[in-house]
Amino acid sequence: MSFNKDNVTQKAKADLAKRLNITESEIKTASVSETDFPDMSLGAPEKDEMAAQMISTGWRINLNAKGKNYEYRADKYQLRLFGFKGTNHVVES
Amino acid sequence: MNRNNFWIHFSVAVVLITFAAILGQIRHLRSTLLSSPTASKSVPKPTAIKRSADEKEPEILVKLRSGVSLAEIRKAVEKNNDRIEDKLENVKGWISIDDLDNRSGKEVADQYKRMIDLITEAEPNLKIELDPIESSSLSDSLLPKSPPSEISPNDPMFSEQWALNNVGQNGGKAKADLAALKAWVKTQGSSDVVVAVLDSGVDYTHPDLVSNMWLRPDTVPAYKDDELGSFDDSHGFNAAENGSDPMDDNGHGTHCAGIVGAEGNNDEGVAGINWNVQIMPLKFMGRGGFGTTKDAIEAINYAIDRKRAGVNVKVINASWGSMLYSKALEDAIRAAGEQGILFVAAAGNNSTNNDKRPHYPSNYDLPNVISVAALDRSDELASFSNFGIKTVHVAAPGREILSTWLNDQYREASGTSMATPYVAGVAALILANEPKLSMENLRERVLKSVDSLDSLDGKIKSGGRINAEKALGN
Repeated sequence: MSFNKDNVTQKAKADLAKRLNITESEIKTASVSETDFPDMSLGAPEKDEMAAQMISTGWRINLNAKGKNYEYRADKYQLRLFGFKGTNHVVES
Repeated sequence: MNRNNFWIHFSVAVVLITFAAILGQIRHLRSTLLSSPTASKSVPKPTAIKRSADEKEPEILVKLRSGVSLAEIRKAVEKNNDRIEDKLENVKGWISIDDLDNRSGKEVADQYKRMIDLITEAEPNLKIELDPIESSSLSDSLLPKSPPSEISPNDPMFSEQWALNNVGQNGGKAKADLAALKAWVKTQGSSDVVVAVLDSGVDYTHPDLVSNMWLRPDTVPAYKDDELGSFDDSHGFNAAENGSDPMDDNGHGTHCAGIVGAEGNNDEGVAGINWNVQIMPLKFMGRGGFGTTKDAIEAINYAIDRKRAGVNVKVINASWGSMLYSKALEDAIRAAGEQGILFVAAAGNNSTNNDKRPHYPSNYDLPNVISVAALDRSDELASFSNFGIKTVHVAAPGREILSTWLNDQYREASGTSMATPYVAGVAALILANEPKLSMENLRERVLKSVDSLDSLDGKIKSGGRINAEKALGN
C-alpha cells in the first residue's frame, strides 16, 4: 500500500487511540507538514534497524491527546511513531 | 630475345617488384597505424562507417578470459550461429568473431559481453577512416602522438553529473569534482572487478546497468547457507526475504549502483565512475529502505563466501547505518577485510560529529573501513553530512546526484548514501588499473590521494575530497 498525507494521518490517529486506549475523537491534529528526513527510517529507527542514508521527503504529523503531544513520521511506504515512551515504533510499512 | 635484352628486362622487373613491395609495406604500415585503438586528440578523428554488402568484415573483437581455450570459445560461438574469423596475433587473448545473422556489431558485442565465464571484453569492430578535412595531413598522423588529457563519455545526461565534471553548472564551483575526465584517460574500469552493493537490491534490468551487472559464472557453485539451504544466486543475494532475487523495490540501491557503474559511453542516461565493472547486488533492505543488522550480516557472509569461491569481490558499498553498535556486524566486516574486501560506509546524515555520537558501520575502527562524508557542488560539506576528525576519513560529492532509478528512470538524490558509492567506485577504478593491489594499499591510496579543502579542515581525517585522477597515480 502507498500512503498519502490524508490516509496516513488517519492511520496515525487510529494507532494513537489504540495505544492510549481512547477514542479517535479525543485526538486533535496539531499539524501535518512536509519535511526532509535524514534517512529512510525517517530519523526514527527501531532498535536493530539500519537505514539507507538518503535524504527522504515525508510528513511530520503532530497529534495532541490529553494535553500531551505525539509525533508521527511517514512517507509513501511507512508510518512511524517517534520517541513514544523513549522508543521509536514502526506502525505500518 | 638476345642475352643483353634479357638482362635489361630482368633488371627492370626486379626494380618494379621491389618498388611494389615497398609500396605495399608503406600501405600496410599506414593502415596499421590508423587502425590503432589508442585514443589521441591530435590523430585524425576515427569515424565509424557502415559495412557495404560486398565488404564483409568481422562484427566484433573479444578478449578471452584467462584459461579459456579456443575450442571452448569456438563451441560457444557456433552455438550463437557465429564463427571465429581470426585470432589476433600479438594481442594476447583477442579474437575476431563474424556474425552470420546480419546483426549490428553493438548487438553482437552486447551478447558476448554477457558471456562472462568466457569473455572479459567485447567491442564492435569499427572500420576507421580519416576525417576528410584532416586526411591531407597523413604524414603528420604517422608520427607518435601524446595521449589526450581528458576523455568525455557520450551519455546524454552527463552534463548534469557535476560530481564527475563540474563546470559550474547550476551555480556550482568549477573543478569541484572527482577529476573523472582525466582519470578515464588511464582507465574506464574493468569487468574483472566486482563491487558488491549492499543495499535495497539493484534493478539489474535497468538499461544503463544491465551490461555491468554481476552474473554468477557457471564455474562458481550456487550459494548454500547452512541454515537456509541452497539459493539460485545467479543475480546476487536477497537476505531480506531469504531469497535469491535481489531486485530493488525501493530505488536507493539502484541509485548507488549507477554511481559506481552505470555503463559509460553507451549513448544512454548517465555514466558511472566506472564505465565497466561488475555490480553484485546484495539486498538486505526492503521497500521502505531499512533493514535489520542480522540481514546485513547474512549478506556480508554471502560476499565472503563468493570471494572464497573465486569471485573477485573487492569492495562492498554500504550506504546505510544507524547509531546502534553491533559486535556481530563489526565481526562480519572484519571477516570481509580478512578476505581482502574493502568496506566503504556512509558517515550519516544527522549533521553531527561522529567522534562524539558514533554512527555505524562507518565508525568501526577496522583496517578495511572507509567512512565517507558528503559535499555539495561548491566543495562545501553538505549541511546534512556527519563529520569527525578522528572517525570520518574522506569526502565525496553527495548532494543533488543524478543516477539510475527504478523503472528505467533517473533521479537526483542527496545524502552520504550518494557520496559513498563514489568512493567505492574510485576504489574499483584503481583496481582496474592495478588488479594486484592489496586491500590495505588500496585503502591508503584512496585516503592519501585527496584534494585538500579548506571547508574540511579540522572536520574529517584526510581533510579532502577524493580525486580519481590522483588515485590512479602517475
